[in-house]
Amino acid sequence: MTAPHPTGGIVDPTCVVAAYSADEFGRAAVAAAAELASARAARLLVVNATKGEALVDTRFAADDEIVGLLDELRARGIDVEVQREVVLDVADAVVRAAQEARADLVVVGVRPRSPVGKALLGSVAQRVILDAHCPVLAVRPS
Amino acid sequence: MSTSTDLTERVSADTSPRIVDRAQYGLAAFLVLSGGYVVYDGTTLGDAFADQPVQPWALSYAVGGVLLLLGLGLGAATARGDRAEAEDGEDIDLSGSTDVRTVGLLALVLIANLALIDRLGWAITGALLFTGACGALGSRTWLRNLAVGVALSVGSFYLFYSVLGVPLPAGVLDGVL
Amino acid sequence: MDLLLQGFETALTPENLLFALLGVLLGTAVGVMPGIGPAMALALLLPITYTVGVDSAIIMFAGIYYGGMYGGSTTSILLNTPGESSSVITAIEGNKMAKAGRASQALATAAVGSFVAGTIGTVLLWVLVPSVADVVVQLGAPSYFAVMVLAFFAVTMVLGTSRLRGFISLFLGLGIALVGTSTGQARMTFGQPLLADGIDVVVVAVGIFAIGEALWVAAHLRRKPLEIIPVGQPWMSRSDWKRSWKPWLRGTALGFPFGALPAGGAEVPTFLSYAAERRLSKHPEEFGKGAIEGVAGPEAANNASAAGTLLPLLTLGLPTTATATIMLVAIQSYGIQPGPQLLDSEPGLVWGLLASLVIANALLLVINLPMAPLWAKLLQIPRPQLYAGILFFATLGAYTVNFQAFDLALLLLLGVLGFAMRRFGLPVLPLIVGVILGPTMESKLTEALSISQGDVSTLWSEPVAVVVYAVIALMLVLSTVRGAGGRPSPAAVVPDGATGPDGIHGTARTASIDRVEHGSDRSIDEATEPEESLR
Repeated sequence: MTAPHPTGGIVDPTCVVAAYSADEFGRAAVAAAAELASARAARLLVVNATKGEALVDTRFAADDEIVGLLDELRARGIDVEVQREVVLDVADAVVRAAQEARADLVVVGVRPRSPVGKALLGSVAQRVILDAHCPVLAVRPS
Repeated sequence: MSTSTDLTERVSADTSPRIVDRAQYGLAAFLVLSGGYVVYDGTTLGDAFADQPVQPWALSYAVGGVLLLLGLGLGAATARGDRAEAEDGEDIDLSGSTDVRTVGLLALVLIANLALIDRLGWAITGALLFTGACGALGSRTWLRNLAVGVALSVGSFYLFYSVLGVPLPAGVLDGVL
Repeated sequence: MDLLLQGFETALTPENLLFALLGVLLGTAVGVMPGIGPAMALALLLPITYTVGVDSAIIMFAGIYYGGMYGGSTTSILLNTPGESSSVITAIEGNKMAKAGRASQALATAAVGSFVAGTIGTVLLWVLVPSVADVVVQLGAPSYFAVMVLAFFAVTMVLGTSRLRGFISLFLGLGIALVGTSTGQARMTFGQPLLADGIDVVVVAVGIFAIGEALWVAAHLRRKPLEIIPVGQPWMSRSDWKRSWKPWLRGTALGFPFGALPAGGAEVPTFLSYAAERRLSKHPEEFGKGAIEGVAGPEAANNASAAGTLLPLLTLGLPTTATATIMLVAIQSYGIQPGPQLLDSEPGLVWGLLASLVIANALLLVINLPMAPLWAKLLQIPRPQLYAGILFFATLGAYTVNFQAFDLALLLLLGVLGFAMRRFGLPVLPLIVGVILGPTMESKLTEALSISQGDVSTLWSEPVAVVVYAVIALMLVLSTVRGAGGRPSPAAVVPDGATGPDGIHGTARTASIDRVEHGSDRSIDEATEPEESLR
């Protein structure tokens, strides 16, 4: 993959993508990404995707929540956009969004997993880390 | 809830464009044909015993005749712009068009099962049925689905065999299970 | 009274208690889960009638029936998706309450109201079943035939959106019922010896309810997740109780008789109850914004009508809802013929069932109040696995009827028919009622005409029969006057009825429109292209 990003992207990013799920992990990712973006005056793209497989997906944020998040981040002077999608694969969607936005950093929230958990459940964060074309910052909820 | 006038407006606005539902002619034709066949089948039946007040063909004539008339009635109603109100539901999104591919794949899975069940046995075809249906419906976690499918089919095989005492077909796994 | 005590003895055996518990748990689960309702669940469970005793099976089925109502209201309140037309009102008013932060109170008033209505309805059944059975047992074959014709007409004309479609569905069902052997001759068997015994009702029910529904959903899968309102422990304040108890009782009073009428159904009484509460309320301004009375009344009406449904089922063998129809199939599969003689011939079964209903109701209250948040988790089951599971168990159930792959071919054909019926707006209930009551009707007709030695006038020789035919004629006239294709509107019954049943459908549609608009109108910057495909 061609790397149009200067190596300084990590320290001085121009566009940060945050993988957002409506839980503590997503909030941790957005918090970290917002901090970076506001410090470096970078664009922030929040990606909230769902497979849409079930009638309810608690990790897909409610409209009110997104509006609230936007208001809050904009109040902090961040140039923020939200991308919400129904996709076949959530990790793919994050990677693709980062690629399209020419992001130079992706932030994901991760949880510690037992070896059994790793074997049984595919982790979105893990797939993003492996597939992304740019550096990925993994944060854990405090 | 909005007021009643609101609702009526919305409802009538919904139905105002008069488009003929062509597919409904197909249903009407199906009704006419099956009605005709029921009547025809009735004519092939002979009289039963002399003291039988209701002959076996009596209901064939009645039901077939009415089906025929209903088919004609539906055809006429369709031509006048009558449209079906397709069934809505929690999981149903009627705004899009019919997803023919998914339905076709599911039908194929069901056909494969009924063709193979006696040869391969329920433990195998049941698992394939579950996995195939998951895949047709858009799930991409094939391995997990297969594991669940095998658990379901083998589990139901043993449940029917040991608890209910009913043997499901074992097929090629006869002796293994 | 002794019989009732014996009924409790039957219902309270550990085994039957377990089946009641299993029934209410399953019922609540299928009520909550999208796409699968009590009728489908019962159809899928019909194979258990081969091994489980009749009382246990019926007790479990009744638990599922009641449980489905509870579970359905949970989904309606939290998601604003009415699973059935009878929970449309709950979906509107209850969801408004939930949005206003009163989800707990809405769930609580629905659950307690359902309990109150179900319990009162069951006690009414204790009183009414024996007395009604005493009357109907004296009906001759002509009257019984007339009542069955009435049931056909009622099921066909009151439900659904168009009479034409109701009749199409009914006669398709009667046509399926023709298949088999009549007086020693193969009728409608297409020369296929496997059809000589007719199409098993289990295969029809599973094909139409389960396969047809799964295929229909698969063709129109909703992709965008719905917003669920987070829920805590259901509870009510003192003022909520004060505002709820009268609507519960009024809803019960409206729901039970409608349920007991042939094809009265649950939809009309929930609407009537809503209209009544709006007029009687001290807070009419809250209606449409989440008034607790608007949840309490209709939910009680819904459950009371479920109890009422059992009256014609147990005394006449007439099912008036899809779920009751499958219960009838279950009873029949034990070789028991439901009908006027049922109470005399199977008192243990009937009283066991009537006693177990109270137990089921109490169990439902216990498992629903504290566990509502847990049940809501069922909404996260991914659809591919859910519907694949439905297809799996549907196939298994149909196969175990005769252990013949031929039945699976029939199952698929009937599934395609079920799909087409949903596509063309044909109601499912008249078809299944036709399949089940068709043969009974033929035998009653034969019986009546045998006694009269072929004289057709015997059909209207009994006063009851004449009255019933007059009622049918009246229904026909009324529905013709109301305009072609429409159904009788309860607006005539309620002076200030703002909406007829057509309006109810309209309301449901409005509700979903609101949701969609809500989803797209916000200032979300990147409304990316898939947003289009979401909707």
